Amino acid sequence: MAALQDEGSVPFSIAHGQQHLRLLELPAEILELLDAPNPPPLSIKSQAASGASGTPSAKPAYAVLCTPTSSFQLRQVQTSNSLFVTQATLEAHGNEIPAPTICAIASCAATLELHPSTESSVVHLQAVLPVYDIVGGDVDVAGNGKSKPVIFSHIPLSDGQCESGWRELVAFEFAGSSYRPSANTLSQAWKSISAAALAEGVKLDSQFLTEDILRLVDEEGYPSDLILAILRLLAADNQDKTGPWSCLDRRKTACFVGKTLLEARQEKKYLTAEFLDDWRDLLPGTWREIAKLDTISGAYTLPSSTTIRFNERLAAAINAEDVTSNAASSSRKWHERFGRARQR
Amino acid sequence: MCTALALFNKMPTIPLHLTKPTSTSHPPENPLPPLLHTPTGLAILELQGTIHFPMPIPESSASSSTQVGKLVFPLYKSDALDPNDLKWMKRVYFYIGKNQRLTGEVRKLGKPFAVIKKREKRENGKDKVGDDVEMGGAEEGIQEDGIQEELEIVQVVRYKIVFSTRPEPVGGEEV
Repeated sequence: MAALQDEGSVPFSIAHGQQHLRLLELPAEILELLDAPNPPPLSIKSQAASGASGTPSAKPAYAVLCTPTSSFQLRQVQTSNSLFVTQATLEAHGNEIPAPTICAIASCAATLELHPSTESSVVHLQAVLPVYDIVGGDVDVAGNGKSKPVIFSHIPLSDGQCESGWRELVAFEFAGSSYRPSANTLSQAWKSISAAALAEGVKLDSQFLTEDILRLVDEEGYPSDLILAILRLLAADNQDKTGPWSCLDRRKTACFVGKTLLEARQEKKYLTAEFLDDWRDLLPGTWREIAKLDTISGAYTLPSSTTIRFNERLAAAINAEDVTSNAASSSRKWHERFGRARQR
Repeated sequence: MCTALALFNKMPTIPLHLTKPTSTSHPPENPLPPLLHTPTGLAILELQGTIHFPMPIPESSASSSTQVGKLVFPLYKSDALDPNDLKWMKRVYFYIGKNQRLTGEVRKLGKPFAVIKKREKRENGKDKVGDDVEMGGAEEGIQEDGIQEELEIVQVVRYKIVFSTRPEPVGGEEV
């Protein structure tokens, strides 16, 4: 303060050895996290460029900043101005007495912007997780040798976003690898869970010991992590999903069972009446009235008056929509930014 | 943009630490108005164009920096009655050399900047805080044996001093 008062001016110098610092623009969400008493860990994840450039599937390399639950794409913006990071120091020039000085220690030609990424992790997980399909009691799939944390670390989204996609796909770890089950596997596994519950007299929609079901289903050779993933997916919303107890949500479960049953049938002809019977058979007796077509509306098509088919377009459409809206929005942002830069 | 992010290709996830200012460190006296003070003494200054100054001859120069000018806050009074009166922010002069002056202002950043620095973590557990954060060159991100690259936010800066006009000539000894 002395310098400011005495001379009314602040000496400004430029350091000969410039440091390499980067400036990252902080959106309100990130700033709030950093200002919190215990800021959560942040990390920068990246995805390498994939596919030959020029091909439609080519994806440019990009990096994201991740909080535990959200992620932001990093974009570099060139500045035409000189942007200095300065440091308050005590400097003497010539024979003068050292004086408080502002010294430019770094010059930044570009800054980094953060743009929220609301992309679903499902598409990424589908691409890297091998499908665990049980055909005639056998599984013919090579493991990827990657644990869940390794898989997550390669997806350019936060762990929270990865986790919700993982749960949605009912993905699981088994023998050192990570998989996602086919609809067929899910349908069969449910059949075993349902049979085990019947044998043990377990009411699935009230609290039961997860272990009781797991023990019986394990004997049939299902990876226990898969069974746990199913029970977690179908758990009632108010249920603690980490403890030794489980409790399933009737409606969620009935819907899941109906959809996987239908999806597992794929292209084969399925009589609507037969499907409804099969579906009801897979549910505990008292739940059967939920097994109606409107429970799974949107998930099926009726190719004829007597047959039913899984709506493939439903699944495909969700993914495609995701990808195109993403591409569109990011290109729009580029455009906006060029526009802004021009106005400056 | 691709080259800029090439660094990240080597390692999928790089931790970004937040350095909390330690109460034991005493940064040098900060000559700027208190509003622009940060725990580390870092600030941001933006101007149009570049500052040219004679490069020092390494042997003859004992100093590690060259003084190129002076900043003046003409409306700022350190003994102002109302510290919340921020009118002084509207005018800052930057005298460069003897004959040029830039006119600018202090602006609150809509989105504050995090100043990011590279931190090297050696496997023996000792942190070496590097001076360089290289996100923009081809040589960057080289992972030497036992060194894991990490980044840290050394400071969040909420204001900048900005000079958006061209320099105007001024005569003789202004400051």
